[in-house]
Amino acid sequence: MAARVLQHCVRTLRLSSGPLALRAAVVPAAPLHRALSFYSADRRTRCVNRFPSLDVLCRQYGHLPPLTLESIEERVLYVLKLYDKINPEKLQATSHFMKDLGLDSLDQVEIIMAMEDEFGFEIPDGEAEKLMTPDEIVQYIADKKDIYE
Amino acid sequence: MASTAATRAAAGASKVVKPIFSRDLDEAKRRVRELYRAWYREIPSTVALFQLDINVRTGRDKVREMFDKNKHVNDPRVIDMLVIKGKMELQETIHVWKQKTHIMRFFNESQEPRPKDFLSKFYSGHDP
Repeated sequence: MAARVLQHCVRTLRLSSGPLALRAAVVPAAPLHRALSFYSADRRTRCVNRFPSLDVLCRQYGHLPPLTLESIEERVLYVLKLYDKINPEKLQATSHFMKDLGLDSLDQVEIIMAMEDEFGFEIPDGEAEKLMTPDEIVQYIADKKDIYE
Repeated sequence: MASTAATRAAAGASKVVKPIFSRDLDEAKRRVRELYRAWYREIPSTVALFQLDINVRTGRDKVREMFDKNKHVNDPRVIDMLVIKGKMELQETIHVWKQKTHIMRFFNESQEPRPKDFLSKFYSGHDP
């Protein structure tokens, strides 16, 4: 995946303008060699002196893997199993916190806070008090993060 | 005579008092939850800042205990007053206006538990 990102960056760099001598050593992929050879003749003579290092033009951002409904549900259930007031055997995706698992409203607040820490965004209290089953939590997070199938 | 009795009965039936912050029980409970969240998030930095000898877990259990002591309250004004007092404690803890001793007072370590059954009270001298 990193190779593909690098390819893309270098391809855009090629199309704009860039020092080929630097990049030719780095790039491994076959299609890019064709592109290199196509552009190399005119570019090398023109641009190698004017732009000594265009490494700054190619930004490489890191990103988390994309969320899916299954991955959200997996993470939610994992966090709930780690919580010590919940019995992991009795936990289902549809088990109600108050009725099935016998938790308190303050326990539910703690659970929502753990979800906030896990997924990295704030859940306001007006909406948090309505989330009573793991399914509802998964749906809420999918709504907020715009994930649907 | 009958009219004044009727008005007194009507007045006694539903007393409308001026609320402190919240107008009904739901809003008061929401304030309680917000306060609990704030305390829950504050405990780790409190333990670090004051260099307390307790776990974060012990601290959080103590917060839960203090909240559970007032679980039975139903009046929104009383709940609001308790929330205000909790917020004052939280502010004093965050800004380090308190000291280690004030925080450890919550844990009642140096107080002996009061005797409850007859024989213990007898041995300790029948202090009511």
